[in-house]
Amino acid sequence: MDTFLQVLAAQMQPSVLLTMALCVVVGMIIGAIPGLTVSIAVALAVPIAIFMPREYAFVMLASLYAAGVYGGSVSAILLKAPGTPASAATAIDGYAMSQQGLSRKALNISLLASTFGSMFSIVLLVTFAPLLANFALKFGPVEMAGLLLFTYTIVGAVSGDSMVKGLFSAALGIALATVGSDPMLGVPRFTYGNTSLLDGLTYIPLLVGLFAIAEVLKHASERFPSWSKKVSLSTADKDRNRLTRQDYRTIAMPMVRGSLIGSFVGLMPGIGSTISAFLAYADAKRAAGASGRFGEGDIRAVAAAESSNNATGGATFIPTLALGIPGDAVTAIILGAMVMLGVQPGPLLFVTNPDVVYTIYIVLFMSTVMMVIIGLVATRALVWVLAIPNLYLMPVVALTCVAGSFVVRNNVLDIVVMLAAGILAFIFGRLRIPVAPLLISFIVTPPFEEAVRQSLAYSRGSMMVFLTNWFSVAAIVVSIAVVVLVALSQRRRTVPA
Amino acid sequence: MRALKTMALAAGLIAASMAPSAADEWTPERPINIIVGFAAGGGTDATARLIASAAQEFFPVPLVVVNRPGASGTLAAELVANSEPNGLTLLVGGGSESTSVPNHLKTNYSLDQLRGVMRVNREHMVIVTKADSGLETAADIVEKAKADPGGLSYGSSGPGGILHSAFLVFEKEAGIEMTHVPFKGGAPALAALLGGHIDMTILTPADAAAQRDAGNVNVIATTSDRAEQLPDTASLQELGYDVNIENMKGLVVSADTPDEIVAYLEANFAKAMESETFAVLAKRANITPGYLDGQGFEQAMQKMSGSIKDALAN
Repeated sequence: MDTFLQVLAAQMQPSVLLTMALCVVVGMIIGAIPGLTVSIAVALAVPIAIFMPREYAFVMLASLYAAGVYGGSVSAILLKAPGTPASAATAIDGYAMSQQGLSRKALNISLLASTFGSMFSIVLLVTFAPLLANFALKFGPVEMAGLLLFTYTIVGAVSGDSMVKGLFSAALGIALATVGSDPMLGVPRFTYGNTSLLDGLTYIPLLVGLFAIAEVLKHASERFPSWSKKVSLSTADKDRNRLTRQDYRTIAMPMVRGSLIGSFVGLMPGIGSTISAFLAYADAKRAAGASGRFGEGDIRAVAAAESSNNATGGATFIPTLALGIPGDAVTAIILGAMVMLGVQPGPLLFVTNPDVVYTIYIVLFMSTVMMVIIGLVATRALVWVLAIPNLYLMPVVALTCVAGSFVVRNNVLDIVVMLAAGILAFIFGRLRIPVAPLLISFIVTPPFEEAVRQSLAYSRGSMMVFLTNWFSVAAIVVSIAVVVLVALSQRRRTVPA
Repeated sequence: MRALKTMALAAGLIAASMAPSAADEWTPERPINIIVGFAAGGGTDATARLIASAAQEFFPVPLVVVNRPGASGTLAAELVANSEPNGLTLLVGGGSESTSVPNHLKTNYSLDQLRGVMRVNREHMVIVTKADSGLETAADIVEKAKADPGGLSYGSSGPGGILHSAFLVFEKEAGIEMTHVPFKGGAPALAALLGGHIDMTILTPADAAAQRDAGNVNVIATTSDRAEQLPDTASLQELGYDVNIENMKGLVVSADTPDEIVAYLEANFAKAMESETFAVLAKRANITPGYLDGQGFEQAMQKMSGSIKDALAN
């Protein structure tokens, strides 16, 4: 406890608080720029951080991480250009709300849900970290294969009106995901001798193309119509944008469920906040049933997705701190920075360096609080982005996308991937084919294939391994049940008796 | 007369002082790029930035660290191997992309296309098993693997990487057969080990010590020689298996680079290794220095690559 109080006192110094505030702002801005993700922000901070005193270094890295995901949602809601992949699910309904002149409301719900999700997972981290980390270890390749199989059912929730079009989109996503090295043998597939393709089609440029570039193209094809018709900033609009008591009641459950889903996904390696946000979206849609207007600007969609992706961020620290096993790319960088600052991560971190653990707890908590304060102030200003005529705004968005996609790997191929994805999504938009199923299956397929083939490697080729494991059996049964239920409900809708 | 003598002497002195730089010494005129095959923030990136900051004072041009991540570091290796041999494009090499991957898969470059400038550090690799697995020594592993070929599984950081290769060489030397389960990086492999889904994997000495102290793993052996952080852990060599695989990091250039350019780079980067800055930074970053000159580094890489090639030919 003494250590805790010492750390807390150290964090309350004005210079530390100022560092934190600055990093929250920088994290939000980098998060908001399509293509520049949280991992880039943290990676770029490492060379600076390792020359700083320890307490400042951890403050810097952890607060950048905490704020980045929220920043991504701002551009997702206002411009349909998710700043980070984790905000892709938010873009669907968030942007729809924006189009109806409800961008202030969407941003506030996003901020509220982000904060709730973060706090939820921080509480889990502080109270149950070792327990949950050991539970997560039980999930080996067989269990992961089952879990990932289930995530394919999200496709049903984001397919919109036509399941056939949704499935077509998902199938294309699976096909695109097979480009790159074979996960077991390393043999190249569909790369045509190009080394840049060995890692597959890079996912951030693909995402930026699918959402932001497609939107830019759409506006261009309509000769940049002004948004002022759709988005009014008048005082009369203020009332519509206010969150009512009814609204709070509506989003409470989706937020709790979203946070639970997000925290669970955060514990598992290799799934990530993009999928957790879509899982929460699908869950909220199922829970809402007939009352939902999902896809057309339902506040529950924004609340579920945002609480979930932020909860994943906090939960990722559970295996990272409790076991010394990084939960994602960002926590891997933070562990690397720890080593360079002379702290050996591992299961004994709580014993050997409790100060570091407490610092991270406190920073995660306080930067979330700061995110709320800064977010509330910023929301008022950010909405004015929409007052910029589209003719000027859209080229800026396009330019940012090109730069953001390139910067990830300094690779020109990624710009090509981004443009191709943008054109594909533009055509999809004309044909009313949803792009979200493509994105989901593109993200889920590689880890699913890896898990299935890892399982088959140690079962020496026997498929029975999936049927002798209770979790895997349960996941298969639930997945089939969801598919059947969705098929039945579709049938009722399309064949009115 | 005297004035003439003085002038002649002065001219001679000037000529003498200018000689090395004008006649045989090459100097860079444009920035030198140090290419890193992995994303910013990782271990290889840290090594690169460390060398660049320590060496900057010995170079008249900026040393720029450029990240070109992709395909387990082979994208950057391909770029440097096929780059213009002007001494301005260096690669942080010596790991998987140099010694391991080209033996497993078809790459658009070979180790012969790279020329060593210097080795900076070497990182030991340690085989670990789960604490309650009953596998406590290398002999336990060999015995069990002989009784049930393919029954034991090992997790690697990816197919063709140096972890995969180390196990292949060990299998060949011990005459055993185990099942390879690749993961995306070392971290998920460790998670799978702790969850009991695989039987063994490889960690860095520092990570192995941390997991052992927490009672999570049994430390079996190192795959090269004894590591400073684990003084009581024998190497596979000592146990009678001729395995010598470790993760090296150093600077390489295109093999066609002229001798004078390589000599210049070798001399100036060597100065950096002896500098105060390097000593301070390396200690802080927990890097085990393992200086070798260009030729020595090249031979070390060739030897390691050769043993991996032999193991694969099996």
